[in-house]
Amino acid sequence: MVPRTFHFSLYTLPLPRTNLMTMLSMLAWRTVLFAQDPGCTLTLQGRVVDAHDGGPLAFAEVRIASLGRTVQADAEGAYRINGLCPGTYVLQVAHIGCGTVEQRITLDKDQRRDLRLEHHEHELRQLEVLRDRPDEDVGHARDGLDREGMEKEAGRTLADMLSGMQGVTVLQTGPTIGKPVIHGLSGNRVLMLNQGVRQEDQQWGTEHAPTIDPLSSDRITVVKGAAAVQYGSEAIGGVVVTEPVELPREAGLGGEVRLLGVSNGLGGGASGMLQGGVNGVRGLGWRLQGSGRYLGDSEAPEYVLSNTGVREAGVSTALGYADHRWELGAYYSRFARELGILRASHIGNLTDLNNAIASEEPWYVADRTYAIGAPRQTVDHQLAKAEVAHAIGERGRLQATYAYQADARQEYDVRRGGRSDTPAIDLFLSTHTGELVLKHWLGEKVHGRVGANVLHQVNENVPGTGARPLIPNYRKRTAGLFVLEHVPVHDRLELEAGARVEATDLYVAMYTVDDVLLVDEPVFRNGAVSAGLNWSPRDSTRLRFNVSSAFRPPNVAELYSSGLHHGSAAIEEGDPDLGSERALKAVIDLEHAPANSAFQVHGTLHASRNDGFIYLRPDGTRLTVRGAFPVYRYVATDAAIWGGDLLVTWRMTERWMGTLKGSTVRARDLVQDEWLFGMPADRMEGSVAYRLDRVKGWSGVELSVHGTAVLTQRRYPVGVDLMDPPAGYGLLGFSAAATRAFNGNELRLGLRATNLLNASYRDYLDAFRYYADARGIDLAIWITYAFGDRSLSRAPARNP
Amino acid sequence: MPTKEDTNIKHHKTMRYTMPRKYTTMMLLSVMTLATFTGCKKDEDEAPVTPAAPTNETELITTVRLTFNTLNNTEYKYFTFIDLDGDGGNAPMITADTLSSDSIYLLSVEVLDESGTPVVDITQEIIDEGVDHQFFYEDSSGLLQLAYGDADANNLPIGQTMSCITGLAGSGTLKVTLRHQPDKTAPGVSNGDITNAGGDTDLEVVFPLVVD
Repeated sequence: MVPRTFHFSLYTLPLPRTNLMTMLSMLAWRTVLFAQDPGCTLTLQGRVVDAHDGGPLAFAEVRIASLGRTVQADAEGAYRINGLCPGTYVLQVAHIGCGTVEQRITLDKDQRRDLRLEHHEHELRQLEVLRDRPDEDVGHARDGLDREGMEKEAGRTLADMLSGMQGVTVLQTGPTIGKPVIHGLSGNRVLMLNQGVRQEDQQWGTEHAPTIDPLSSDRITVVKGAAAVQYGSEAIGGVVVTEPVELPREAGLGGEVRLLGVSNGLGGGASGMLQGGVNGVRGLGWRLQGSGRYLGDSEAPEYVLSNTGVREAGVSTALGYADHRWELGAYYSRFARELGILRASHIGNLTDLNNAIASEEPWYVADRTYAIGAPRQTVDHQLAKAEVAHAIGERGRLQATYAYQADARQEYDVRRGGRSDTPAIDLFLSTHTGELVLKHWLGEKVHGRVGANVLHQVNENVPGTGARPLIPNYRKRTAGLFVLEHVPVHDRLELEAGARVEATDLYVAMYTVDDVLLVDEPVFRNGAVSAGLNWSPRDSTRLRFNVSSAFRPPNVAELYSSGLHHGSAAIEEGDPDLGSERALKAVIDLEHAPANSAFQVHGTLHASRNDGFIYLRPDGTRLTVRGAFPVYRYVATDAAIWGGDLLVTWRMTERWMGTLKGSTVRARDLVQDEWLFGMPADRMEGSVAYRLDRVKGWSGVELSVHGTAVLTQRRYPVGVDLMDPPAGYGLLGFSAAATRAFNGNELRLGLRATNLLNASYRDYLDAFRYYADARGIDLAIWITYAFGDRSLSRAPARNP
Repeated sequence: MPTKEDTNIKHHKTMRYTMPRKYTTMMLLSVMTLATFTGCKKDEDEAPVTPAAPTNETELITTVRLTFNTLNNTEYKYFTFIDLDGDGGNAPMITADTLSSDSIYLLSVEVLDESGTPVVDITQEIIDEGVDHQFFYEDSSGLLQLAYGDADANNLPIGQTMSCITGLAGSGTLKVTLRHQPDKTAPGVSNGDITNAGGDTDLEVVFPLVVD
């Protein structure tokens, strides 16, 4: 087997040489590490140029096969390889649209060598159209999870998978529902882009997990910044992007099948993917993918978490064609899920809640079962997307996307008189989105995108619930225009600036408690600006800086909700006069990875000011026939949120590697002069990994032990919560993975253990911390069989 | 495992070209088309958004009425909790007659939805699901001697009817709670002690209590 290199490409970031170091720092144990021999300090550098006209071949790839090292040239064709030992090497130089060229070179001192390639313009154009990153953010800190990373997290929710990244935590509603939290913000403050389309099922409130099958994508990227210019409203805390699949463009067939078994919940899952190209039609590719999961009740260390079973199933299919001018794509996915909601979390009133807090154990614990009873929820998300892109001129590109999303959601409550099978909430949300983007060049260097997008959404309460709707019927329309330009100052500094204007109008219709029809039509107009830079003062150092604003019109729940929320035993009252939330956020991201040091550091500092920050504030109690309930009102305040993330990677030896991560967030309510409610506690994670390239027919053997320590949150507003934040906790985990060739195909095996010591704990960001402990020990074992065309069985992933 | 060869195809960006003007024009036209497309359809889709009729709350409880009657049916006393518009809106109205001291009463509870016509009597629904329901009565000042007067299929109390003996005169409060899925076999529960009952609360109403 060819030595393994980092398998998602680094090719497109503006300063690839330093990007290489970034990736090393994050994924060093899956790269082939060259020996850090003290004598090996030579540098080879130069430019990759077109053999015909001497023009630079941007992002060409230079590889030393014997060392398994690959670097990528930058936009000007410049490349650099550090830390070489004296000796003779064979360089392989590749560029899109050119054949690979080999060149022998003998090094005894630092050397500069230009590499010439035969380059075919026509081919180049053809392939350029094929691949397109969704966005090019210069200054935003980002992190990514590729297919292999997802494979290791198999069986976990999307939010859990993302929580391994620094600065990302999970907002739980019991063991089955999780939403990602980026730098302390979540829900409607984190935009989800699924296959490039805004995921709209988050419009309904906090206790809804995003209905996304992580396996339907090859890569998930998290942008940690206020990125409204690129992505539109709601990108205040950050953006989670499940990137569009890369289809094969050559004839062939490949795929993979995976099985998964999980001990906690005693269930499992399966997934499969098949993709191929069509013989004789170059550029035409397709993919079919499906997955499912089936779990019974989860278990905390000391009791069963009754009624927390999960069933889910998803399918997706993609078809695409590309030639040198046109690119056409169609995508469809459907993902359905049924979730049990911890029985003990259904409580009647404030007395019950206080009883639950006082009690060590949940009030309802039954034998473990696979049955799901009330309370439960079912969700069904469908996405259909059509895309067309056309190359314009030599470098421009016009792209139009249309997508339709249908979201159905039923929530079944514990009800009297045999009504538990009638949903108490039954919603149908349909959303049309359209986008038109022009990628263009202004002169030689400045390039960017200008675009427009529109959204049309209707939310309907399906009649027949016999319960007054919590979220009224509404129609929402949004139109936005944006421009984002990149200015490469020189090959080590790139600037970016952009702006967006967006308008949203709502038409809301609902009946008041006195059955009077109430109609409201608020309009929200917003603008956002963004400026960023990406500076690489040295090969080993990269600095990203971004200042950007973002906005979020209040969602319908914040404006109009009125009534009892059973899960929290609280009455929530919206405020129709709320305005848009606005955020200004600055992020500095520094990566330092000296070639001759075993240590690599990646740090992020962020600070934001959020005006009109909407949250629920307690406002007395109200007497109802069920007893007293606390009343919470959606109010706006001004908030400041700041913090930092740090990742230190230590390559002890070629086989051993350690990482240490830390994250901290602080958030103040500037009007009330107190801490903000519900912010993640400080956390630290450490891991030690051991890697062997070859053991008895197995390759890529990896073992790792990781520990997480979460401190007690001591910064919280007094009097908002009925329960003090739970105590801090520590968790231990273990994972192992290995690969083996099998009948010419590939077999991958893995094991993952979470909460290995079976610790009892509750997390401050778990809405069910009042009722029960979090999940205990969980062992997962997975096996993947990848077959067919190797180059097809796993599409080359995109870079972050 | 992917090899380097797998990833040879890659993104590109050479910076040598500019965009012809006609495409700028085309872009602008397209944007305008999009804007027009969204701007024009103003009212046509508002109708389906407007709900046809207000939702009929099927599980609304507006009224809890306790009836105290003496054994010879000479004296009827009522405690009522009425909140016709449910949660929110107007505050509930709570009234309670004065009970006579040194008397024996039969106490029964009625649970009603009086928000519409006809009035819905939910009491029978609770008795039908008696195994999953139990009323609890908490008398703050020990003025009442209460005992369950009914039983579910498992011969455990429901509490829709009670016997109630008054002694000395005095005042305090009477809290009536209906629990759903209580553990009726937990210690004290079948004797009316709510402490270990668990379950979730369907009703919780506090009446002023005067015995004279």
